[in-house]
Amino acid sequence: MNRVNGANSAVLVQNLSKTYITKQRKGIFKSEKREVEALQGVSLEVKPGEIFGLLGPNGAGKTTLIKILTTLLLPTGGDAWLNGYHIEKDANKVRANVGCMLMGERGLYWKLTARENLMYFGALYHLTPQARVRRTNEIIDLLNMGDIADRTVETYSSGQKMNLAFGKSLINDAPLLVLDEPTNTLDVPSASELRAIVRQLNAQGKTIIYTTHIMAEAETLCRRVAIIDHGKLLAMGPVSELKASLGKDQVTRIEGVISSKATDAIRALSMVRQATLSAMDGASQLTIVTSNGTNTLPRLIETLTQHGATIQKIIPEDVTLEDVFIAKTGRTLAEDTWAK
Amino acid sequence: MITHTPTLRSHLAVTMASAKMRLITITRYPGQLFTDIIIPIVLAAMPILLGRASAGPDAAAIFKENTGTENYVAYMLIGASVFSMVSYAFWHVAYWLRWEMETGTLESLYLTPTSRLWVAAGTALYSMIRSIFSAFISYFIGSWILGSDPFQGELLLAFSFILVGMIPLYGMTLLFGAVILKLKEANALINLMQWGVNLLMGVFFPITVLPPLVRIFALLFPPTWMTNGVRSALLGIGFFFGEWYLDLAVLWVFLIIAPLFGYWVFTKVEHGVRKNEGVGQF
Repeated sequence: MNRVNGANSAVLVQNLSKTYITKQRKGIFKSEKREVEALQGVSLEVKPGEIFGLLGPNGAGKTTLIKILTTLLLPTGGDAWLNGYHIEKDANKVRANVGCMLMGERGLYWKLTARENLMYFGALYHLTPQARVRRTNEIIDLLNMGDIADRTVETYSSGQKMNLAFGKSLINDAPLLVLDEPTNTLDVPSASELRAIVRQLNAQGKTIIYTTHIMAEAETLCRRVAIIDHGKLLAMGPVSELKASLGKDQVTRIEGVISSKATDAIRALSMVRQATLSAMDGASQLTIVTSNGTNTLPRLIETLTQHGATIQKIIPEDVTLEDVFIAKTGRTLAEDTWAK
Repeated sequence: MITHTPTLRSHLAVTMASAKMRLITITRYPGQLFTDIIIPIVLAAMPILLGRASAGPDAAAIFKENTGTENYVAYMLIGASVFSMVSYAFWHVAYWLRWEMETGTLESLYLTPTSRLWVAAGTALYSMIRSIFSAFISYFIGSWILGSDPFQGELLLAFSFILVGMIPLYGMTLLFGAVILKLKEANALINLMQWGVNLLMGVFFPITVLPPLVRIFALLFPPTWMTNGVRSALLGIGFFFGEWYLDLAVLWVFLIIAPLFGYWVFTKVEHGVRKNEGVGQF
C-alpha cells in the first residue's frame, strides 16, 4: 500500500503524461510509427466531496486521463493517487474505490437483463450475494428502472442503456465516481434527472469527476473545473474564479453574415481582448470579449458594417465557462468538437 | 472508503458468476446449442461414409490393422467429439477477451478489482460444461445413427482423461488468448490453430501415420493424449505408454505446466497492452 501522497485528496495527479505509439498507414503493407502525446505533464487535485468537472473538446485528453486514473492505461510518466492509493502500485484498491461510467452503453452485456448485469458486476466487485441483491434493487429503484429491469438490454432505448451504464458505476457504492460524458444520447428530461441524481450522490458524500464537452452542464453541476486541450491543462479552479479571471470583461455575441476580414478588423480594435468567429446554422457567430462592453457596442457595429458584415442579432451576455474556454484556447468548444 | 480484501470465497464467486453469466447468455441462443450437438456427428460422418464408399466390405479389417480397432464409427465419433471440445475451448476462452473487446465490455471488466484469472476460470468452466455436455450427447446420438455401441469400454476412465485433459487445454487457450489480445486477429488465428490441432491430435487417424518430426510435435499437445486416452479406454487401441495411469500422468504434468505458463504469458501481454493502446482498442 502506498498512501503517503494524496492521502487527503480524492484524486491527486502529479505531472502525468501519456505518449501513444500509433501506426500511420503508408500503403497496404507499409506503415510508419508515430508518437502522439495525449497528455503532457498534467497535475491536478480533486478534493473529497466535490463535483469536479473535466472539460475539453473530443480528443483533448480527458478520456486518456480518466483511463489512467481508473487503471485501464499505464502512464508514460508522472504519478497519481486515488483516495491515497497509487494507480499502479495499488491498482486493485484503486478499482475497488472507484465507480466508473466510461464507455456508455457499450459497457453492458446486451443479452443479459439489467438485473443480471448488475448482479454480475456486483460479483466482480467482490460484493457478498446478499449485498449484490440489495445493491441491485437499490440502483433499480434509484434509476426508476423497475419496469424494464428483467428485460434484456438489447431491447432498451439508447437512453435506457445509458441509465443502466450509470447504474453499473454505482454497484460497488464507491466513494469516488468517475462519469465520462454520462448524458450523451440522453434526452433533455433524462439528462436533467441524471444530473439530479449526481447532485444527490454528491450530497451523500461521494466525490465525482464529471467529464463533458457541454460547458453549460459543467457550470450547473461542478464547483471546480479543469479545462484540458491538446493534452495540456489550460486552467483549473472554481467556476466562479475562472469566470472572474476574465476580469470585468463583457461578452457580446453577434450573429449574421460576417467575413473573416470583418473579424480581423474587430480584433484590431484596442478594447477587444478576444474575437472568435464560428459557423452556426448557416450563418456566422462572432463572440467578442471586450474590456468594456456597453460603451464599445456602437464601435463594434460600425466596424463590422464598414467591413461588409450583415448583423442579424446582437446578444450581450454574462461570462460563461464557454467564454473561459474561448479565452484560453482561441476556439469555441462546439466548433472544435464537431471539427473532430 | 472501501478496503479491498477479496477472499478465496469471493474469488470463487467471481468464477461462478462468470460461468453463470455465459451460460445464461448461451441459453438465449438455442440454435447454437443445437449446432454444438450436430457438428461433431456431421464431422465424423464424412470420413465414416468415405471409408465405407472407398474401402468396401473390408473397411473394418483394414482400419483395425492401422488403428487397433475395427470400430471405425466409434473411433471417428470419439475423434470428432474430442475435437469439438478442443475447438470450443479455443473459441470460448481464446476468443473470450476478443469477444469482450468487440462487445465493449472488456474495459468494464478491467475496471473491477478482480483478477482476470478468476474470470477466465469462469469462462473455462462454462466452456467445459457446454462442450462436455454437447460432446456426450453428440457421441451418443451419433453412435445410435451411425450404428455403434456407445456404452462399450471403460466410460469412467475415458471421462477422467477428458477432465484431466481439459485443464491444460484451457491453459493453452489462455496463452493463445494473450496472442489474440496483442495481435487482434482472432478469427484467422483460431481457425489456423484449431485445424492445426485437428491434424496433430489425430482426429480421424492414429498419429503413428504422421511424419516422425510432426509426431513429436503432436505429442506436445494435451489434446493428442486426451484423444488417445479416450479411444484406448473405450476401444482398447492401446495407450502411448502401455498403461492408462502413465498416459494420465503425462496429462497431469501438462495440467500443472500449461495453465501457469499460459497465465504468465497472458499477464505479460496484458501489461504491455495497458502500457500502450489500452484494452479497449481493437
